[in-house]
This record gives sequence, C-alpha cells and structure tokens, in this order.
Amino acid sequence: MRISTLTIYEQSMSSLNRQQGNLMHVSQQIASGRRVVNPSDDPQAASQAVQVSQALAVNSQYADARISARNALAQEESVLNSVSDAIGSARTLIVQAASDTLSDADRASVASELRGIYETVIGQANATDGNGRYLFGGYQDGSEPFVRDASGNVSYVGDSNNRAVRVDASRLMPVADNGNDIFRSVHSGAGYVAEAAAGNQGNVTFRGPQIVDKSNPAYGSAFDITFAVSAGVASYSVNGGAAQVYEPGQAIRFGGLSLTLEGMPADGDSLHLDRAENGNTDLFRTFEKALAVLEQPSSSNTEIAARKNTLSGVLREFDNSLDNVLTTRASVGARMNELDVVDSVAGNRSLNYEEKLSGLVDLDYVSAIAEYSLRQIGLQAAQQAFIDIKGMTLFDRM
Amino acid sequence: MSIFSIGLSGLHAAQNALNTTSNNISNVYTPGYNRELTLLSERNASGGVTVEDIQRQFDGFVAGQLNRANSETSALSSYVTQVSQIDNLLADRQAGLAPLMQEFFSSFEDLVSAPSDPAARQGVIGAADTMSAQFRAFDEYLNDMQSGVNSQIRDEITQINNTAAQVANLNREIALARAKHGEAPNSLLNQRDQLVADLSTRLDVELTVQENGTYNLSIGNGQPIVAGSTRFELQAIASDADPARSVVGYRDSAGNMIEMKAGSISGGTLGGLLNFRSEALDKTQSQLGQLAVTLASAVNGQHRAGFDLEGNPGGDLFTVAEPRILGNAGNSGSAEFSAAFGDLGQLAATDYELKVTDAASGEFQITRLDSGERFTAALDGSGQLELGGVLLQIDDATGLVDGDRFQLQPVRGAAGAMENIIRDTAGIAAGAGGGSGDNENALALQQLQQQNLVGGSATFNGAYAIMVSDVGSHTNIAQVNLDARQGLSEQLYALQQSESGVNLDEEAANLIRYQQFYQANAKVIQTASTVLDEILGLR
Repeated sequence: MRISTLTIYEQSMSSLNRQQGNLMHVSQQIASGRRVVNPSDDPQAASQAVQVSQALAVNSQYADARISARNALAQEESVLNSVSDAIGSARTLIVQAASDTLSDADRASVASELRGIYETVIGQANATDGNGRYLFGGYQDGSEPFVRDASGNVSYVGDSNNRAVRVDASRLMPVADNGNDIFRSVHSGAGYVAEAAAGNQGNVTFRGPQIVDKSNPAYGSAFDITFAVSAGVASYSVNGGAAQVYEPGQAIRFGGLSLTLEGMPADGDSLHLDRAENGNTDLFRTFEKALAVLEQPSSSNTEIAARKNTLSGVLREFDNSLDNVLTTRASVGARMNELDVVDSVAGNRSLNYEEKLSGLVDLDYVSAIAEYSLRQIGLQAAQQAFIDIKGMTLFDRM
Repeated sequence: MSIFSIGLSGLHAAQNALNTTSNNISNVYTPGYNRELTLLSERNASGGVTVEDIQRQFDGFVAGQLNRANSETSALSSYVTQVSQIDNLLADRQAGLAPLMQEFFSSFEDLVSAPSDPAARQGVIGAADTMSAQFRAFDEYLNDMQSGVNSQIRDEITQINNTAAQVANLNREIALARAKHGEAPNSLLNQRDQLVADLSTRLDVELTVQENGTYNLSIGNGQPIVAGSTRFELQAIASDADPARSVVGYRDSAGNMIEMKAGSISGGTLGGLLNFRSEALDKTQSQLGQLAVTLASAVNGQHRAGFDLEGNPGGDLFTVAEPRILGNAGNSGSAEFSAAFGDLGQLAATDYELKVTDAASGEFQITRLDSGERFTAALDGSGQLELGGVLLQIDDATGLVDGDRFQLQPVRGAAGAMENIIRDTAGIAAGAGGGSGDNENALALQQLQQQNLVGGSATFNGAYAIMVSDVGSHTNIAQVNLDARQGLSEQLYALQQSESGVNLDEEAANLIRYQQFYQANAKVIQTASTVLDEILGLR
C-alpha cells in the first residue's frame, strides 16, 4: 500500500504519544502507590473500595466507643469497690455494737464512726466522672442523685434508666448502672428479713430466720407472728393461725422458716417477716435505722429488746445490700471482659478489611516497576524509530 | 518545424509536471490537500504530448467513511474529556463525600458516650457543617460543568455556522468557476472537502453530492444546513422544557426556530457534549441530589423525634430543597403544579417528563428520562399525583390541555441546598425525653447509617459507591470505545492518505524524472535548431 509522508509522521507521533501516555500512567500509579488511581481504572474495585473503607471506618468508630465504655465501667467499678468496703466496715461495727457489754457511751462512739461511713457512702453514691456528670443518676446526670431531705434522710431523685452505648454492630451495652439498682435493691434470692413492731412492750428478741425448707407450700409469703398473753401464759400465732404455746429459747417453725425467740412478750406484741425485696431495700435507710437506735440511750428491757431486734435486722439488710453491690460489680467486670473480647475480634476484622482494601486498590510494586521499565523501553524504541525514519529521505541523497 | 512544436509541447508538459510536483511538495503538510497527478496523453493533431488533466487524487467514498469515523471519534473524545473531570473528582479518597459522611456519623459516637457534653455536641455541629459544605461544593462543581457544557454548545454552534457558511460560499464559487472554465480549481475543491471534514468532527453531517457537483449537507433527521449556496442556521437556544439548559435550535426555511430533539445529534464534539450531559452529568447530579435529600430528611426525621438539652422537641438539622416542576414553554394550557416530597423510598435519581394524554380525566404519559421507560398515571380526585417519591398537586385541573408537557426534576440540584441550620449546641436532640444523660435519640441517629434508605434499597455509603461505580464505568467504557474508534480512524486515515497523500520520496523522484524530461525535450529543440542552422548554412 502506498504510504504518504504525512501518514509516516502521524503514525510515529501517535505511537510516541501512546507510549508516553502509558508511561505516565504507570509512573502515576507508582507515585501514588495505588493501582486504581481514578474510579475509571477499575470501576468495580473502586466501588467495592468505597464500601470496604466504610466498614473500616465504622469498625474504628466502635473501637472508640469501646474505649469510652471501658472508661465509664472502670470508674464505676472503682467506686463500687469502695462502697463494698464501706458496707463491710459498717457491718463489722454493727456486730461490735450488738455486744451486751457496751455502755450507752460506747454505743454513741460506735454510732459516730458509723455516721462517718454513712457520709462516705453518700459521697460515693454522688460520684462524678471526669466531666462533672453524676455516675449513678440514670439519665438525670446533671445534679446529685442522692439528696438529703428536711429530716436529714437521704432520698433518690435520679431515674431507673441505664445509659447504653453501641460497642459493636449488634451489641448495645449499658455503660452505667443507676442508683436505684445499686443502692436501693436487693437480689431476688435474698431470703427473709424479720422486724419487730415499733410498739412492742415486751422484750422478745429473735435470731434468724433461717430457711430450712424451700419446698414448703407456704414459703414465699409474708408472715405475721402475734403474741397473746393471758393468765400468765404466753402464746403466739402465725398469720392469725392456731395459737401455740410460747417458750423462750425455742425455735419456731413455719412456712419452711425457723425463728429462734428469747425473752417474754407482752400481749399484742408482733413480729413481721417478709422476703427481703418487700422490706426495706434502701441502704441509706438501713444506715439511718442503725444510727437512730445507736444514738439513743437504752435502759429498759423493752428498749434493749427493740435495739437488739433492730440491729439484727440491720445486719441482715447490710448483708443483702453488700451482695447487691458485689453482684453489680461482678456484672461490670463481666462487661469489661466482654469489651476485651470484642476488641480482639474487631481487631481481626479490621485487619481483614485492610487486607481486602489493599488487594483492591493498592499497587503491586514489583509488577508495576517491571511494567515501568518495559514502557520506558517502548518509548525509547518509538523515539529511535522516529529519528531513523526522519533520516531516510531521497532528498538527502540527491 | 514540427520537431520544434513537438519539443515545445514536451517542454510545456515538463513545465506543467514540474509545477504539479513542486505544488505537491510544498503542500505536503497542508491539511486537506489532495495530491495532484499530471496526466499526459498524445497530441493527435501534430504529434507530441499534451497535458490532459492535472488530476486531483480524491476518493469521495473513502473520504466519507473517514468523516463518519472521525465524527464518532470526536464524540467519544469530547465525552471522555468531560466525564474524566467527574472521574478525577471522585478519585480523591481522603476528601471525598464518603469519609465526610462517615465522620458525621462518628460524631454521634461521642454524643452517645456523653450526651450533655458541649464538646461532643459541637463536634456534631462541626461534622454536619463540613459534610453539607462538601455536598454543596460537589453540586456546584457539577453545576459549573452544566454551564460549561452550555457555553461549549454555543461555541460549537458558532463554529458550525461559520463553516457551513463557508461551504455554501464555496459551492457558489465552484459552480461559477465550472460555468466559466468548465472545471473548478483544485484548491477550491480541496478547501470545500476540508471544511466538510472539519464539520464532521463537530457534529454528524450527512453529505449528498448533486449531479452538478454541489455539496448539500444535512443533520439530525434530514434537516439541511447547506443546500447549494443557501445555508440554514443553528442556534443555541434555551430549552422549552427547562430554560436553564441550552439546546440546539434549527431555523428552517419558514423562519421557525425548532428545538432539535435529544438524540438527533449524536456525533462530533457537539453530539459528545449532548450525550455526556444527558447520560453522565444529569445522572451524577441526580444521584448526588438523591443522596443529599434522603440523608437530610432521614436525619431531620429522627432528630425531630428526640428532645434537646432544654427539653424541647428537636428541630430540623438540615435544610432540604424542594423538588422542581417546570411547565414547558410551548404549553397552551395554564395549569401549574406544585411539588413536595412524599415517600422517599420511591425517590429515583432521574428526571421525568409528563405529557397530558387526556386532559379531561387528568391522564398523563410519563417518561423516565434516564431509561426511556414509559408508563401512564392519572390525577386522583383531589388533583394529586404521586410520582417517584414526589407528590404533585395541580392548582387547576381545567387548565390542562392535551399535549401539554411538564418536566419534573425531583433531586437534580438538591445537594446545592443542603445546609446545617442548628448552631446552638443545646439544640442537638440527643435524648428521647429522659434527661440530660439520655442518649437514646443519638443511638437511633447513629443507626441511620446502616439502614437501606436511599431509593428504598441502599445505605448512604452504598449509594455513594454506586455513584462512583457508575462514573467509573462510563469513563472506562468510553475510554475503551475511544481507543477502539481511534484505531479504526487511524486505519481509514492511512487508507485515505495512501490515495491522496503526498510522499516526498515519490515527489523527489518525480522532480528528477521531469527534470530529465525537460532536459531531453530541450535537447530536441536544440537538435531541431541545429538542423535548421545546417539548412540555413547551405550556400
């Protein structure tokens, strides 16, 4: 085929241009480290890369969430630690105060120690995090959840919500526990508490109740033990049932429970037994009851009996409260462990995403550099061919 | 004596041939030049040689093929140039929309951990500002491209009109020259063919050569732009359907301005521009708008369900643009529509054309402008029509006339209106009404990024990935097609050049050849002169 001079030059030029363009493309890839520089280089890979980048970013978003969750839980755990220590000390004091050898003055000094612990626990219940938000108020974290009323008693003005944070794609974890759950509740398996009526005139004291038979059909309900004294004979009846003869020192059984009684009742005295969650579950009320009875002098048998019964009930309530706080602390610890597990799983997931992203859009330097050399040679060859062709003209030989 | 005339004829022929050869040599790089061959033939009357013709080596068929190929190549080339701009914009992974959307949702993470913390709230406001600014910037870039396309269309049309005028002129001059001399000068013919080739790169023209050699040019569906020495003008006019858009208008012989339908011009730079606008630019802008509207509305809706720091219900976080509905400038009726967003799960990234098929019953034929899909719908009893997530309300159904047309642009350009309107940190509704530590609304806002809200089937990030994939595919396919077409064009060009191109070596040989020819014929005359001298020298 006949070739015109113009064709020769234009074909050489377009070949040169093409070689140059290819070389530029490879050098751009090497400079940016990416095989897919523009979406048009590989539309599917570019689109997938957008999705994988998003997954990576969401993953790191959850990682941040876990950090703040761990901080919140760690703070809560340390406060609960102090609270459980405090309740433990309070309990020891009560055992000490229950001894018969103490005088009123001794009891008053125990009471002042107990008051110190009481104030400490109030302070911890009103603990704040680093930003001044109250830890145990539920959603009402702007002001103290536990406030004193006019009579000096502590009441709770927070709510029962627990703030939750999303720590993984399908895990919404509560990172706070509210004051109700911690300081004003007991476990459902917390057993029974007994209480002597305030107006008792006799000096009956109780020990227990112990649980002896949970399968008893009456177990679980409340029991009222009323005493009747007529003609010097004391009797008691359980929930208005048949009157039984009362002997001091005996352990009476009813509803799967066993209660040991000492002392002599007056006519009309009564004792009330109920499951712990139906009685007083407020830790601060327990403190207040103990303080009230320790700060009062007690001399008459009735007063002494009332003091002994109150302290016996207070001891049991402290046990239940301590169990509750320890249980909450355990749940906080379990959540922190879970965060560790999720962290490692998410770390693996992150690694997988990064590998996938790299495989999609990153450059394989080895093959790119080989291609670069190849294209360089191609360009040089095209340039040389152009020079050679230019030199081959008849006019030079005329 | 006849030797003299024979020698003279040879000299004359040699001079002509040398002339032609030097013309070829000096025009070797002239665009549109077709080489000339000196055709010699025997002079019958008294012997010798005569120059029969200086023949222009031009193959009309190959030239036509080449023009058509160049038309397609130019169209693809201008398409690729334009769409690469969007492709390059989406290449930036650090500053693109996807990471900014991710940062916006990440800012809710801090809010979830500390709902009443002013720093966390300010973080949300800052991220909302940055993200909405990027949406606006992206839309502005695409709007700039729209105006760029509009002005490029104007420029192309000006050039086309100039070239067509020149062709019409040349038609007249060539006809005159033919009438006067019986043949037209090669340079004029070359010029005319070059103009037609140039015109082919601007838009796809159909060339018809009449018997007397006049070139008639027509475009689109047969509308003539050059007929003999008359020409018909094109003009860049505002589209009847959307006055912000420039389209090609054709002024016919009766003086009417007709808007050329979409798709009637598909080749050349002009065709490439029009194709790019309707296929890639509108689509990308609509996809962006769809994402912006869905994101803004979803966030607004969830935000309104919560309560801010002062216990008031949350307000809108972002402004959302209204859908646009335009009546065609050629409508004879007076009815107008108003539009508002309805079920956003039905929102699609396309414009719609509504045509009244039966005004009495309020029936419309609706065409999706991205796919060409058609369906019918009718106004309900209260004059409402739900279409693609938009609720259309007519003001007066009696103002409808059969054949009237409306264009609905639900989301194109919506991204430009997205703005963050909450500036006060207390106005962020993190809670569900529980108190300053309540983070439930913030949790719900965070979860929006996992829900398939865009078009009812894609997450926000998924919709953005689709946009990236679409633009990348369009660019990639166009690039591949362009490479293929360029190869074909180059082949056809080589073919045309093999016929009409000058080869300098060939012309160098011709120079030598015709020089010798001249010398030989000069020698003939010298011999004739010597013979005559001999005779004259006889005593």
